[in-house]
Amino acid sequence: MRRSLLPLLLAFAFLGGTLQAQEKVMVYTSMKESLMGKLRDAFKKKQPNVAFDYYSAGAGKVMAKLAAERQAGKVAADILWHSEVPDFFQLKAEGMFEPYASPEAGAIRSTVTDPDKTFAIARLGTLGIVYNTDNAAKVGKVPKTWADLLDPAFKNKVTIANPALSGTSFMSCAMLVEKFGWDYFAKLKANGAKIGQGSGQVVDDTASGDFTICIGVDYIALDKIQKGAHLKLVFPPEMLVIPSPIAIMKTSPNKPAAKKFIDFLLSKEGQSIITASGTLPARVDVPIDKSMGLVAPEEAIKRAIKLDYPAAIKLKEGFVKQFEKTLR
Amino acid sequence: MRPRRFGTAELLLLLSILILVVVVAIPILLIFWNAFVVEGKPDFLRALALLKEPDTLEALKNSLVIAGGTTVLSTIIGVFFAWLVSRTDLPYKATMKVLFLVPFMLPSFIGALAWKILLSPRGGHINRLLMDLLHLEDPVFNIMSLGGIIAVETMYLFPFVFIQVSGALERMDPTLEEAARISGAGLFTITRRITLPLMMPSILAGALLVALYSLAHFGVPAILGTERNIFIIPTKIYEKIYASGGNFEAIRTGTMLSSILVLSAAAILYLQSLVLSSGRFQVISGKSMRPMVLKLRGLKWPLLILSVVYIALTVVLPTATIFLVGTLKTYGLAFKLENMTLDNFTYILFKWELTRDAIWNSFYLSLCAAAVTMLIGTLISYVLVKTKIRGKFLLEFLGVLPFSVPGTVIALGVILMWSGRFGVNLYNTAWIIFVAYIARYMAFALKSTSAALEQVHDSLEEAARACGASKWQAMKDVVLPLIKPGMVAAFFLIFLPALRELTTSVLLYGPHTRTIGVAIYTLNEDGETVYAAALAAIALVIIVLGQLLIKRVTRAKIESA
Repeated sequence: MRRSLLPLLLAFAFLGGTLQAQEKVMVYTSMKESLMGKLRDAFKKKQPNVAFDYYSAGAGKVMAKLAAERQAGKVAADILWHSEVPDFFQLKAEGMFEPYASPEAGAIRSTVTDPDKTFAIARLGTLGIVYNTDNAAKVGKVPKTWADLLDPAFKNKVTIANPALSGTSFMSCAMLVEKFGWDYFAKLKANGAKIGQGSGQVVDDTASGDFTICIGVDYIALDKIQKGAHLKLVFPPEMLVIPSPIAIMKTSPNKPAAKKFIDFLLSKEGQSIITASGTLPARVDVPIDKSMGLVAPEEAIKRAIKLDYPAAIKLKEGFVKQFEKTLR
Repeated sequence: MRPRRFGTAELLLLLSILILVVVVAIPILLIFWNAFVVEGKPDFLRALALLKEPDTLEALKNSLVIAGGTTVLSTIIGVFFAWLVSRTDLPYKATMKVLFLVPFMLPSFIGALAWKILLSPRGGHINRLLMDLLHLEDPVFNIMSLGGIIAVETMYLFPFVFIQVSGALERMDPTLEEAARISGAGLFTITRRITLPLMMPSILAGALLVALYSLAHFGVPAILGTERNIFIIPTKIYEKIYASGGNFEAIRTGTMLSSILVLSAAAILYLQSLVLSSGRFQVISGKSMRPMVLKLRGLKWPLLILSVVYIALTVVLPTATIFLVGTLKTYGLAFKLENMTLDNFTYILFKWELTRDAIWNSFYLSLCAAAVTMLIGTLISYVLVKTKIRGKFLLEFLGVLPFSVPGTVIALGVILMWSGRFGVNLYNTAWIIFVAYIARYMAFALKSTSAALEQVHDSLEEAARACGASKWQAMKDVVLPLIKPGMVAAFFLIFLPALRELTTSVLLYGPHTRTIGVAIYTLNEDGETVYAAALAAIALVIIVLGQLLIKRVTRAKIESA
């Protein structure tokens, strides 16, 4: 009997590895499980016939993966969704996207739009100053403005996600440079600020007390705050509002399912899940839960540091190098 | 009778060569080709120029420092504890001997994760405790440094030396030492002039194993170094590949660094073969003799306590940390009951595709890789050990290759070979990891199956043939049953490490093919520390269950034999 067990197990294993549902969609995204998990559960309930899965990593890694897949001639992503807006203009220019005018897109408002409908905005991410309340209490100071990050009280205690890895960090730093110049980052360096890894890790490193302050993404910080982390998220007057575009890959063999997901995401239901997870909805008709400490979208857009998004493509390569040079 | 020119033996030889060429040789050749050939022409200057880039140079330097430091430290600790359990009257020696092997079971990257949680400069629990207690401004320890990486690698690699040396110490002929003693030599002289020289081959063999492993190791430096901009060759390759987005210059740098890894591994293995083949030290007799035992007297209990504390610090503390952090509602909270929950475990076991798939992927990939590699290994070993045909030297040469190829190099090699450039595109599938695992674990299969085959004397097979059995019958009814324990051992020798594999799969995984190691690593990278810890805890449970299973299976085998 034992002899027949092994081949059987092997057969099972391979079967299991290749079993497929009838319709499927794979999203490459920089959104984390605390957001994607809720979207997945609701979408599965709504579309039980679509096998939904996602691959989540920092925007830098997602783009590298995508590029490698294009080289290998095998793109596994049906949908791309992250926050490094210039990448979307770049891929659009390369003809990598399938234009799609979702019926839900009419109610979307954002700081950037694509008239050709190759991508839609699915969320308005905001970044603020996330600080460890225990550590802040120890020095008796609470950061409120961008200038507070230069306070000697926080020397060696500030971390910023690596813009080469994190899309939100890239956009944030580009905005801060736009507003305050490279001089601001030179001063941050002088105050001992460190380049961290991804946007999630800097928040966890702040929660653990390894750092006192990080520039953090709204829903990542709020998720941990809800679970009891000793963190607080504050938004300085000059806000970082980063739209997260979503697009269907031209190479996708699963376009109908991909469209179903985008419709769902842009719908009132999808956007309500987005804001309930702690970030801003892109729809005008979805109210936010102010008790979480979010800033209403209208006000956030008004306070946001402006950026010329299409022009930011050219910025990219040089920006990361300059950032490394200034902060490393 | 004239021998047939092409029979079963030749066919098997050809098949074996073919498998090794496709699975191991071509990927390695592709690495060297891409590193040193530009547009069809050899170009070493360009290779050198790439190596002179400050970040690659830095990675090379760090690799040397870490491998060197880990080797020296592991050797000191390994030799000391080996001596303690085999040459002194330490209480509970037998138990301690087993306990010193436990660090082997703990995957070192999980250990690294635990130490990061405990000793990261300002966030680590121990550092925070010390800073609060002693009212310090600055943290006491920084595990995220070169020294920290060396310390953590040593904790989990010293058993390589320990096993070699304690085995040799026990088998050593004690009369040599007695002779010296009778001639009036003191303990110090005996140790220096007799024992140490006799032990040298074993010590060196263990040390070289540590060096080989540490040089090619990804997990610990990735978790403790990358965040603080400390890279070694394997993590630099990982960074280059992931930052490249298919950019060929980056892949070329990767192949160049890989070539260095292969060459240094080959050099280490060459040294090892020199050490092992030096006949000068063949004084270990097979007879079991009771060696001279040093009386520790007053030091007896302090040294036992030291050993127990060492095990507790390196095994129990990190394991407990992983389980405790896995229960926290969110990272950074204190270990209080109100902050704890089992939700993380149910979430990653039942709700999250990422982790659920990872467990399943690792399980079936290791199962398949172990079964297939074991079978191929048996075939190749059979040709190597049992046949006498022309052209075998080629197989012998190819058979050495898997031993000298680090996991990172294999991964890069299979990427070059199997992502569509040669007609077969396995990119993003489980197959590419499967092919890589076969190459990576072939050495294990070859080692244990050839050892088993060497013990089956040719006369047994010949006797069966003489009685009229066909070659196949002789093989099936005589040889196979005799080498079955060796094959089972090979299976588990591959299955268990493959289950916790990180170095290779981290470069090969696609959205559907994450392994347990990759999932833990990426969760840590994404700042999902509590989930990473919870998954690591589950992985530890699986590994311990696997070990227990092996014990049962192998014991049943011995009893039935």
